[in-house]
Amino acid sequence: MPQATDGVRLFLPETYDIVWSLVILVVIAVAFYKFILPKFQSVFDERAEKIEGGMAKAQKAQEDADAAKRKYEDQLNNARVDAAKIRDDARDEAGSIIADAHKRADAEATQITTNARRSIASQQQQALVSLKGQVGTLATALAGKILGAKLEDGDVQSTMIDSVIDELEQSK
Amino acid sequence: MSQVGSMTMLLSEASGPSLPTIKDFLPPEILFQGTPFAINRIIFIRIVATIVLLTVMCVTASRVKLIPGRWQSAVEWVLDFVRNGIVYSVLGSERGKRYVPMITTIFMTVFVFNLCGVIPGANMAATATIATPLVFALWTWCQYWIAAAREQGLGHYLKEEMFPKGVPWPMYVIVAPIQLFEIAIVRPFSLTLRLFANMLAGHMLVGTCLAMGQFYIIEMSNKLMTLVGGVWLIAGLVFVCFEIFVAALQAYVFATLSTVYISQSYPQAE
Repeated sequence: MPQATDGVRLFLPETYDIVWSLVILVVIAVAFYKFILPKFQSVFDERAEKIEGGMAKAQKAQEDADAAKRKYEDQLNNARVDAAKIRDDARDEAGSIIADAHKRADAEATQITTNARRSIASQQQQALVSLKGQVGTLATALAGKILGAKLEDGDVQSTMIDSVIDELEQSK
Repeated sequence: MSQVGSMTMLLSEASGPSLPTIKDFLPPEILFQGTPFAINRIIFIRIVATIVLLTVMCVTASRVKLIPGRWQSAVEWVLDFVRNGIVYSVLGSERGKRYVPMITTIFMTVFVFNLCGVIPGANMAATATIATPLVFALWTWCQYWIAAAREQGLGHYLKEEMFPKGVPWPMYVIVAPIQLFEIAIVRPFSLTLRLFANMLAGHMLVGTCLAMGQFYIIEMSNKLMTLVGGVWLIAGLVFVCFEIFVAALQAYVFATLSTVYISQSYPQAE
């Protein structure tokens, strides 16, 4: 029965077969353990490192950008506050300038009014004085024409004039 | 009597198709006959496959670049598949790290050796004698016993495996010996036989189809029979494709089961 014994032999490993299987397995395993896989692993690690490095770099760039943004926003805020302050100051200043101008204008106006009043008063005085003289002369002349020589005498003349003026002033 | 039997066999072999027999798996020694280093056809195929595998992998490894080319990407894909798809998915990356080289070695070697079954000229898987799968299975066997002794102690491991929780105690009379038999003997032998039998069956299938095709198309001068031969030939081609698939599948199964056995040596606490 050669077939039957062959069938059994199929499942009974030959010594040399085991030897060669073992030798080959050891050779392959050593190559994989010591050379092939470490070589690939080093490249995998390097690649992972590169990717992680790139990610860290991106992270840092992001942080830098955030910091810069914050800085600019702060500056912008400061600038806004400054501008508001300047505006307020300017407004205050303008107010005080206007107030000053008002005050000065008021003072000037008062001054002008006073001056005007004073000059009116003095002119009135002058007018009164000159009027007094003219009215005297006029009245004298008029009265002389009416009374003739009788009133040529100076004393009488001046007493009369004064009394007329007094009357005028009282009637005013 | 036996002479007559062998004569009839010879006759039938001469006139019919030269179908594959189990003799294909027991080829004569061609070198160093009678020594422990005897080499037959299958061992020769195995040595050539080893040289090819190691040459290709070593050349790829020594030229490995940060930015991979097409070939390197393909190799990396396979290595990544074994590491993440088999080892890490079963053991997790922390425990699995230690076993990545082992499982990668098993997967790559079994796959390449299996593929020899459909490589013209070889036409015989290098894993198609019982010794090679057996040696791989024994490696796994050693690894999971070592892992058990290291991670939880042999006593605890045996207790956990032989007396699984939730089984009523009288059942332990039956369960305990079965479990012991399973972890001591069944696991390595199932690994061995599954791979070996798959390769054996694959060779028989492809060989039968192609031998029948050859016989009907070339050796018979009959038009109708040529048609039958064509069907056999097409079936042969289909089975060649199927064998390529089986080569990968059996490598995957062997690697996955090895990983699972090792993972079962770790304490089941979590």
